[in-house]
Amino acid sequence: MSGRTGIKTHAKLKSNVQSWLIMLPGLILMTFFVWEPLFESIRMSLYKTRNVELVRFIGLDNFVSVVGKDNFLQALQNTFFYTFWSLLIGFVLPILLAMLIGETTRGKSFFRMAVYLPNMLPGLAVIILWSAFFSGEKSGVLNILLAKVGMQPQSYLTHSDWVIPIIIVIATWKGAGATALIYMAGMSSISPELYEAAAIDGASIWKRIIHIMLPAIRKLAGTLLILQIISVFQIMYEPMVLTKGGPDNASLSLMQLMWQYAFGGSMNYGKASAVAVIVTLILLVMTAIYSFFNRKQSDWD
Amino acid sequence: MGKLFRVISLLLTMCMLSGLIAGFAGAEDVIDADLTCTITLGNWPADTAPDAEKALFEGYKATMAKQYPNVTLVPDYYSYTLSNYVPMAKGGTAPSIFQPPFTDPQLLISQHLVGDVTDALEQFGVLEQFSPSYVEMLADENGRIFGLPRDGYVLGMHLNVALFREAGLVDDEGLPLYPKTLQELAEYGQIIKEKTGKAGLVFPASETYGGWLFTNIAWNFGCVGESALEYQDEDGRWVCNFTSPECIAAMEYMRDLRWKYDILNADATTTDWAGAHSLLGTGEAAMNFAADDSVDQPTANKGLPVEDFALIPFPAGEAGRYALAGGTCYMFAPNITNDQAVALMAYLKILGKLPFLDDSIIAGMRADYAAKRDRGAPVIPAISAWNDEEYNAAKQAIVNEFSNVDMRLYADFFDSISEGTITLKSEEPVFAQQLYRELTAVVQRVITKEGADIEKALRKAEESFQEYLDDEINDY
Repeated sequence: MSGRTGIKTHAKLKSNVQSWLIMLPGLILMTFFVWEPLFESIRMSLYKTRNVELVRFIGLDNFVSVVGKDNFLQALQNTFFYTFWSLLIGFVLPILLAMLIGETTRGKSFFRMAVYLPNMLPGLAVIILWSAFFSGEKSGVLNILLAKVGMQPQSYLTHSDWVIPIIIVIATWKGAGATALIYMAGMSSISPELYEAAAIDGASIWKRIIHIMLPAIRKLAGTLLILQIISVFQIMYEPMVLTKGGPDNASLSLMQLMWQYAFGGSMNYGKASAVAVIVTLILLVMTAIYSFFNRKQSDWD
Repeated sequence: MGKLFRVISLLLTMCMLSGLIAGFAGAEDVIDADLTCTITLGNWPADTAPDAEKALFEGYKATMAKQYPNVTLVPDYYSYTLSNYVPMAKGGTAPSIFQPPFTDPQLLISQHLVGDVTDALEQFGVLEQFSPSYVEMLADENGRIFGLPRDGYVLGMHLNVALFREAGLVDDEGLPLYPKTLQELAEYGQIIKEKTGKAGLVFPASETYGGWLFTNIAWNFGCVGESALEYQDEDGRWVCNFTSPECIAAMEYMRDLRWKYDILNADATTTDWAGAHSLLGTGEAAMNFAADDSVDQPTANKGLPVEDFALIPFPAGEAGRYALAGGTCYMFAPNITNDQAVALMAYLKILGKLPFLDDSIIAGMRADYAAKRDRGAPVIPAISAWNDEEYNAAKQAIVNEFSNVDMRLYADFFDSISEGTITLKSEEPVFAQQLYRELTAVVQRVITKEGADIEKALRKAEESFQEYLDDEINDY
């Protein structure tokens, strides 16, 4: 009996060793490039630093100093605005695109490629392209178009109320196509029989969308929603290139603030790490809230 | 046998002659065989540097070894930052020579972290020729010299002369009637905007550029001395001072440029240094605060013909005429001996940084100017750190040989420096980049919100920067 158990354990161990060996390269990479920097960042946030050297332990002083400054509150508020505008502009649009392309009978491949095309452009090239469009000079593309209909040129990127929605429009233009493809994949898994049955029962297109399609992609939409929030919460290069965080910090994001502390002249890695830890905590809380509601929803189902 | 004897005799004669020649040459090469010391040379080219650069420095080393055979050179890859230099200087391990930016000399001098080379300069006979414009930046209050410029620039203004012409702001000879004061800058800018529809002034106010340029305007409104933007109090603590009447007046001037005279470019808050040059070069703006080292940007890089370009001195303000002098300089470890100081001056002489010209330096200058002329960049003289007429005339002769500009479009800029009618200032002494960032935010607020409360915005920026100073230097 014990001999048989021993053989089983040995076989299980052998199979586990193989599994661990397969995972080993990934684990090593994760350890050095994800977990170690993450823990080092947390440790650094608790220290007074000189460049990357830890000078002395100061507890939560970096957090108190960072949170107490106006630019942090401004960046925090801006980051929530980015998220709000992103959900308003960028959450529904990919679903609409997926629906429209899904309903298209001819040229579907073309439209799929067309909506995905901006995603293939390098991010910085997209920002530079749109900066020419929204330029406040007379030579700005939008101002040229406005001049054609007799309107005066406007300054878009120097207007503190417009700058975040404009950046989100640009980010959505670039990213919506990729999300739409994921929705299309989700929609294609809906059984056609459901639509046929609904059509026989006389359901309109809206009823089919509301009662068949949306419930079917609800979970997918929930996952993409949280991924979108996480992604937008870390927005950095778009405002950094387009507006440099201005005017008067009106487009400064938390990640950009972190960059400023680390590389913007002061080289204060301790405070930069404190901002990074705060962003991580906020995202953890938001993900936990989402998971909580998602589990509840699953329980109801 | 006789033939063999003749060949041997000939060979021996040749050997003797070559030894004699070598002996004479060696005697000429050696300048001081008694000077005995070791100097460490910071910023030595790394192993990854281009081969030509490495060979150049090896050549300097070989020349030094010939001229001063008992001076030992120790190459050091050290690259200066304020934070890494201070512990090295305190611990006695700083390289004998290093290269800080012009933001730091006065701070290093006041903290006794650099060595005095005044006597060594005197020994080389060049002390009296050191330009007074640089003395303020590289000397202490007693006139002792602690550094030499490596390369530098002085901030002035770039003009698009074509727009001045279009606006009728030219004299009988077609030369631009340029603004000599900040008030005239606003007025001339307004005329240009009205007559041409183009921005009178491009003001890059993004990131730290806005604050950087604003400090120059603030100096001219009197933010110097007791009203400086940052200063050390009697306890040695650094104090931020953005709410002086002079600073408020300077910021009100910024507000007027936007809301009263309306001469700024439309996207000032997103414009950076390169963008500003682009707007001037492509005829979208008439004036740009910029220096003599970037005259190729609007011209060769953006297509503005050299005859439509001018460089003028920074306009004067109500409290004087100041301009930023920036760049990089050479400074020396605080513990250098007099022999080391002499050896370091000898090394800088070989590098062409003292007012002596030799064939290799002249050849380098000629190649540089020829390349500039070929690509359509203005060929103008570099600002000289030396008031040595013969030396400057020799350099000017080389410039003239390749000149492609009407020097009347540059004369006032260079004269203001050589005649001392403009006071050159280095950047604010500590944490200048962070200071610029704080001031840029205020500039952005003032030029994007007409009713912005200037004093309140400056007070907030002052509190923020003071906290930074306390954190980084006062309570460190």
